[in-house]
Amino acid sequence: MSTQFTFRPRVPVFDANVRVGDLHYEPSACRNREQLLAEMDRHEIEKALIYHAHTEELSPVDGNLFLEEWLGDEGRLFPQWSIMPTAESMAQVQRLHDQGRVRNVRLHDTRGAGLPFRAWAYGPMLTWLSEKRIPLWIPVPDADADELATTLQAYPDLVTVLVGAHYLHALLVRPLLTALPNTYLELSRFEPLGEVEALCSEYGSERFVYGSWYDRYAMGPMLFYLHHTELNDTDLALICAGNLLRILQGEGQHD
Amino acid sequence: MIEEQRIIDFHGHTGRQDRYNWNDDPTAILHAMDKAGIDIACLFNIFHPDGTTGNDITARFVAAHPDRFVGFAYVSPTMPERMVPELTRAIDELNLVAIKLYPPYTQWDLHEPIWHPIYEFANARGLAVIFHTGADPHSHPSLLAACAAQFPKANFVAGHAGNIAEPRRAAIQVAQTYPNVYLETCSTFRTPGVIEKLVNEAGPDRVLFGSDISLMDPRPQLGKIITAHISEEAKRMVCGANAARLLGI
Repeated sequence: MSTQFTFRPRVPVFDANVRVGDLHYEPSACRNREQLLAEMDRHEIEKALIYHAHTEELSPVDGNLFLEEWLGDEGRLFPQWSIMPTAESMAQVQRLHDQGRVRNVRLHDTRGAGLPFRAWAYGPMLTWLSEKRIPLWIPVPDADADELATTLQAYPDLVTVLVGAHYLHALLVRPLLTALPNTYLELSRFEPLGEVEALCSEYGSERFVYGSWYDRYAMGPMLFYLHHTELNDTDLALICAGNLLRILQGEGQHD
Repeated sequence: MIEEQRIIDFHGHTGRQDRYNWNDDPTAILHAMDKAGIDIACLFNIFHPDGTTGNDITARFVAAHPDRFVGFAYVSPTMPERMVPELTRAIDELNLVAIKLYPPYTQWDLHEPIWHPIYEFANARGLAVIFHTGADPHSHPSLLAACAAQFPKANFVAGHAGNIAEPRRAAIQVAQTYPNVYLETCSTFRTPGVIEKLVNEAGPDRVLFGSDISLMDPRPQLGKIITAHISEEAKRMVCGANAARLLGI
């Protein structure tokens, strides 16, 4: 694809990682769903998986309630409910699941929560997610890599999406993808030179999903990157939407 | 080349840092540049305080692909006696064309007198000096004001444009005040609206595309400019025209 000063994606795009709402210490530049949809339109992004900023450091329970007003009914914004291994959080997500509204969940900052990501602490939650075939998003920068590998290996049926790996995590990515066959890597921050093409060649493009992590990061740059690689259109379409759709349909297992 | 505009990446490194899987493999660098339409990358090596070792590495790197790479000289006030002699050698003998400085590797704020022989050298020759800038006290872009005022014939480039919100505001303010201050764009903090803010507040003629290649792939960093909500004319200036003017290439 030759580069132009105006960029448009050439495959359908479903953003796997969008944050909405204010952090308690930083208001979002994107004030409402209309502005979010306008930004998606500007980049020709059809759909997005969204979670609420309030769930990150304060309360998944309250944040999930705040998420409701962003969803709408035009079929473009899909909920990513946040979860913690507490009775109230689990009950909330299980109620949503009973209503047929849970296709994925997100677990924030296991390090910051002070609860190690170990089976003795997260076991009931991970068992339930595995049984219900609910994929789990986990931000890499806020987790301990050894805990991720060790714990998730004990739940081989659980599909996970590791979010936000940065060049600081460059050495972790391959061992994690090798140790965890049902793990996907979300690419919003993964900028080491040539590594998207290298990883796709080594692990297959079916292991990766496009996410922008808007509004933390701009929506367009990684999408532009993916469109200027060696990837053919079939692989590009998988990364930009196809893999995510499969994951959300409960068909994300590779083994 | 993008739509007949030569694209110049103003911020790149030779050398490697294995903990980040950072490797200056020229094949990988050129592949990424070609895929994005980047014609020229400006490279420097900040890993050797003597200056000489890294500048020789950069010069050899450039010599292997002289149509694709431009070299910048690096020196450090941790070895102050070497600064001007090494700059003279690097510019006159190695044909490097600008200067890179990295205050976090030193104990001095970038405006302190120990740096001044470098600025006098740049001022006498009308060279560009690019700094790492950010929130740390040695590299805060507000300090560029003193340099820009005292050495008006040198051009000072705030690498990363301060990187995060507070130093970025300071970088913009200095660029608004001094015509010899420029803002360079590379950062892993790809905060929405930053490119628009730099262009709209400092001016499109004062912003330079940079990527941090080979630490980072240049494609998402170029994507920041291409997908920003700015005019095509501004994109042309940021992506290449400003750098060509500044470097005389």
